[in-house]
Amino acid sequence: MSSTFQSDAFMQRLAKRHAAEKRFRLLGLGAIVLSLGFLALLLFIMLKNGLAGIDWQFLSGSDSTEASVAGVWGAAKGSLLTMIVTLAISFPLGVCAAIYLEEFAPRTRWIEWVEVSINNLAAVPSIIFGLLGLAVFINTFQMPRSAPLVGGLTLALMTMPVIVISGRNAIKAVPPSIRDAALAVGASEVQTVFHHVLPLALPGILTGTIIGMARALGETAPLLMIGMRAFVASPPDGFTDPSTVLPMQIFLWSDEIDRAFVVNTSAAIIVLLVFLMAMNGLAIYLRNKFEVRW
Amino acid sequence: MLIAVVLAVVAGLGLIGWYTARAKARLLYTGRGSMRATANYHGLHLALWIAIPALIAFAVWTAVSPGLVNEAVLADPAAQMLPASDMERASILAEARAVASDPSTVAFNPLANRLAEPMRSAQTQFGFIGIALVLICALAGGGYAWTRIRADFPARSRVERGIMLLLLAASLIAILTTVGIVASLVFETALFFRDVSPWSFLTGTHWSPGNAIGADIDDNFGAVPLFWGTIYIGAIIAMIIAIPLGLMSAIYLTQYADAKVRRWTKPALEILAGVPTVVYGYFAALTIAPAIRDFAASLGYQNPSTESALAAGLVMGVMIIPFVSSMADDSIAAVPRAMSDGSLAMGATRSETIKKVVLPAALPGIVAGVMLAVSRAIGETMIVVMAAGATARLTADPLASMTTVTYQIVQMLTGDQEFDSPKTLSAFALGLVLFIVTLILNIIALRVVKRFREAYE
Repeated sequence: MSSTFQSDAFMQRLAKRHAAEKRFRLLGLGAIVLSLGFLALLLFIMLKNGLAGIDWQFLSGSDSTEASVAGVWGAAKGSLLTMIVTLAISFPLGVCAAIYLEEFAPRTRWIEWVEVSINNLAAVPSIIFGLLGLAVFINTFQMPRSAPLVGGLTLALMTMPVIVISGRNAIKAVPPSIRDAALAVGASEVQTVFHHVLPLALPGILTGTIIGMARALGETAPLLMIGMRAFVASPPDGFTDPSTVLPMQIFLWSDEIDRAFVVNTSAAIIVLLVFLMAMNGLAIYLRNKFEVRW
Repeated sequence: MLIAVVLAVVAGLGLIGWYTARAKARLLYTGRGSMRATANYHGLHLALWIAIPALIAFAVWTAVSPGLVNEAVLADPAAQMLPASDMERASILAEARAVASDPSTVAFNPLANRLAEPMRSAQTQFGFIGIALVLICALAGGGYAWTRIRADFPARSRVERGIMLLLLAASLIAILTTVGIVASLVFETALFFRDVSPWSFLTGTHWSPGNAIGADIDDNFGAVPLFWGTIYIGAIIAMIIAIPLGLMSAIYLTQYADAKVRRWTKPALEILAGVPTVVYGYFAALTIAPAIRDFAASLGYQNPSTESALAAGLVMGVMIIPFVSSMADDSIAAVPRAMSDGSLAMGATRSETIKKVVLPAALPGIVAGVMLAVSRAIGETMIVVMAAGATARLTADPLASMTTVTYQIVQMLTGDQEFDSPKTLSAFALGLVLFIVTLILNIIALRVVKRFREAYE
């Protein structure tokens, strides 16, 4: 027997297989390094081009045809107003829907339709939501174009399924013993959910909400459809003023022929990425801090 | 801000109602078991009766009043001079509305300036009617609930029934959104197909809506080059990048990397998915596309274009990597450990186990993940808008500029044409095609994933 395992042919085959193993492993490592390298290149180029452009003038100014005085505050305020509308609509609706579907919904055909439709909405391309916003809010309801109100409504419809899905998962993670205990001492079903299940699920729901909001903050295509590409020389004052948002400002500046706007565009990208990273960081912090393993 | 004022007033009334009803209910308390619900629930009951009718009245009134205002303005003598065409009429009224809300603006059309005054007075008049309506509803609801405050009134179960209805209404919004998407796309597409035949739209190979006038309109709305561009960029080039990189990353992370590496690498990969697409688009246009153009020039291309299918597809592929990798990660993790342990015990190396045992077992999940990734890639807009180009052409040359469905939707809707032109409406027809294709991909993928999970549970 031992001669078979020590024959030259066997040793050669074994060495080949081990080499193949090593190659495969390096291939995997290479894939990760390449992906992360691309991310690093992207960040490096934006920092290299944009870091010089970030100063007080840039952070406090609004759009201008002159690259050196154009700033990002007008767009940032537009983003803020839009996000307020999105949050105010999608969060309560999303949480209510998640509670209903997870805790109270009877298993009927109707409810199945609701579930299918939420799962699909979460995967519908964002530009389709823009077409919906254009056809419904602007053409049918005659709401003002380019307004944070309409942008926020459109993004809210897009964000709501994300909140519902993460909310359901968070509610599902609360163990049944909590519900049983509350019901056993005489709480009604609604009391059980609102006094006991919801507070325990809230960190999970908030994490999902922040991630959904971060996605909405970076979204451009649906807002392009509803005309949020106004040239805004002064920050918008209300929810119905024409305005633009941070990603849209990046898009508009990227179209400028003047090479000086490369600095502005990259700087605006840095500002946007800082906001997004702060939001995602907050979500991770919340998850780590309040996550309970039952 | 009318909405803010109304909401504040309703909230204030509700708060007052809640407080007084609670106080009244407390007076009814005579001892243990004397009441069917606590005082707080009586307060909530009244507050709900104030807020819900008032908000419903406000919603109805907001939907109806613009029409009433317009009618009142049209009844004004100055409105006799309005043109008969609905389109022009609507635009002048819109201008008048703008002047009415902000007197400092000057309307382009003199008639709009004259209509601004009646417009403003009609708005004020109907505004007061609306506020009165909301107040009446709030008070009527509150009054009704006030008479119900009695010791034997089951306020809690009534409140809970109300809450249940609110929860149900919230979950129906999802269906409403889906219906809204389908209805608006189908409606506008039907308008489009009055002018252009569906057959020539779906099978024609020439796309130039700019020349679309008169009898040969059918020949200029052939969307096949758009479909091809979308598939070529989103389903071919992007996937050639994303599938190997995403899959290999997932394999490395699940099979080889130790916990410490995994803990740092996975979130870092997910950052790739969190970068907004407009940033990728700019990166593609600023860095990748010029590099590819120089590369093409060095290959001897004559006048290579800055915009190329390759630039857009490459960056899109990178964007999709974390998506493929996390789907593959889940499917590989779902393969029972006993299977790979068995293979390893037989003396197979790790890579042989992965290639011959784990991957085949995880394949359905991975395929479903790739389908979801394709559906995301073909719906992606900003990268192609900024890097792919506007020329519709049927070619397999990755260095040529190419256009996609999403690019054309943006192109058709961001110009300044009137809304009913076939050009604008074509965007909705393209949107409908995109919606249907992504829907089918998603449904199949979700089915496969579900069946795959059940197989190993």
